[in-house]
Amino acid sequence: MDKFKEIIRQYPFLGFVIAFIILMLVPSVFFTDLYQSHLASLICINIIVAAGLNIVKGFCGQVTVGHVGIYAVGSYTAGCMFLYLGSGLWLTLPAAILIAGLFGVAFAIPSFRLEGPYLALATLGGGEAIRLFIENGDFFMSTYGISNIPQPIIFGVPFDTPDKYYYIAMPIMLIAIYFSFSVLRSSVGRAFMAVREDPISAAASGINVKKHKMLAFVLSAMFAGGAGAVYAHLPPGYIHPNNYTVIEMVTFLAMVVFGGLGHIWGGIIGAIIITIVYDLTRPLYEYQLFIFGLTIVLTILFMPKGIGGFIDKYFIDRRFKTKTGAASK
Amino acid sequence: MLLKTNKLMKAFGGLKAINKVDFELPANEIRGIIGPNGSGKSTFFNLVSGVYEPDPGSYIEFDGNDITNEPPHKVGELGLARTFQLLRLYQDMSVINNVMSGYHTLVPYSFIDAVTGRKKIWDQEKTIKEEMMELLSFVGLADYAELNASELSGGQRRLLVLARAIAGKPKLLMLDEPAAGLSPVNVDNLMKILMRLKEKYGLTLIIIEHILKVVMDTCSKVTVLDHGEKIAEGTPTQIKDDNAVIEAYLGKKMDDEEMRKALAV
Repeated sequence: MDKFKEIIRQYPFLGFVIAFIILMLVPSVFFTDLYQSHLASLICINIIVAAGLNIVKGFCGQVTVGHVGIYAVGSYTAGCMFLYLGSGLWLTLPAAILIAGLFGVAFAIPSFRLEGPYLALATLGGGEAIRLFIENGDFFMSTYGISNIPQPIIFGVPFDTPDKYYYIAMPIMLIAIYFSFSVLRSSVGRAFMAVREDPISAAASGINVKKHKMLAFVLSAMFAGGAGAVYAHLPPGYIHPNNYTVIEMVTFLAMVVFGGLGHIWGGIIGAIIITIVYDLTRPLYEYQLFIFGLTIVLTILFMPKGIGGFIDKYFIDRRFKTKTGAASK
Repeated sequence: MLLKTNKLMKAFGGLKAINKVDFELPANEIRGIIGPNGSGKSTFFNLVSGVYEPDPGSYIEFDGNDITNEPPHKVGELGLARTFQLLRLYQDMSVINNVMSGYHTLVPYSFIDAVTGRKKIWDQEKTIKEEMMELLSFVGLADYAELNASELSGGQRRLLVLARAIAGKPKLLMLDEPAAGLSPVNVDNLMKILMRLKEKYGLTLIIIEHILKVVMDTCSKVTVLDHGEKIAEGTPTQIKDDNAVIEAYLGKKMDDEEMRKALAV
């Protein structure tokens, strides 16, 4: 097992290839109906957003409540490119990532001066402004939403049903996770954490605080934009401004908080659990916001580092014990 | 001169926190800065390291570069490291990550390398980690590498702050009360480690400290500040006998016996 771990650590890419093969097999083994496939695709999309949100919120410590707006930008970039240019996913995805990145720049600027709740308010305003802008513009087919956004066709095979679309969303998710892991485990990830913990001290160590805040916002915006595009193409290919409200934002936040803020796996664990819970509680629609709000508050109160922190604690305690044990011998 | 300030000034409203301070520090020296509370010692550090912007007319030069209005990270990049009176540790990061983030300016790979996660990065990260572990064992924290910084004791935190500041291989290290709150044994230990680090890395040091024993024992020269002005500068022995310093900081002149008692803290 240790040898296996060592190999994975040396060739991180190998881990993703193994994960890819396993995830390719999952549907044929576990899924019994189309709806489960649909849910799996949704989980993939949410993982991308949560992984991105974890960069800016969990690692860089910048409270943003406007991410759903950037997610909407991604979706509507895809939607409008289909509507006016007839583009498919392979064109709309990079475009969405690029444009969302630009919005990330705009969202990063307030973070230079604002902190904590003030920054949350500014970004909340930004996110809502984007939604209202979309909702009130004829260009975006506001009232009816954009429908029939097509799914990609590879080698003549259309991926137009939920069970097939999973094979589109899942690899994109893996690529996103790969990028997020690469960044967060490098010196850039450490610099993000330093900025979160103490910007003044970080600057004294030669870390450019503004640059790293900007990087975090742009990176996570790119994740959200990409996820938005994948979501727009998700069968049946329908987007409406109502899908990008504060309720969605609270769900995204719940994912990151519950999974573990600042934990490399945090967003991923959280996205899987919260997406499933979100779906199970659909009959209780009126109470969903309450449930997720409560989840966030309770998690922060009683498990401030989420599930990821819980796992970490166990491993670190063990590592420390073995080390000091060896020293005393 | 490694560090030079000319007519350094900083006023907060009507209060002149630092008033026309000329300061020169050659390489390889250990300089002590002493003075009563509120005399501008920490402000001096903050001005030099770029945390505060000095008032117009001031000039700061470090290692031949004009750093008067440079932001803190630029100053850090040039090789000027500092610690803070309130430590400012990264509480929620592991000890090894604390030290490794101090290495930030020397990381050999680019941001693009980091995003794409190429294999060479992991090799380089491994080398950095080994190097930083060596530094940690040097200050005696190697066993705690995977713990959170918040789980360390007060004395260990001071050592960690020191290790983090040195991780970036600075030319000049400015320590803001490195021994505050330590027991006499720990103070000795800290100073021993500091001297060994100085030798190993060829550091130049500026130390703010209220424990006079530390200043008198280790510093080759001492600068005394009072009300934002430099009132004396010289070897520890000269400072000890300087009337202005005695009046402002040390209190009444003592005979040798009393002095020995006071310095033995």
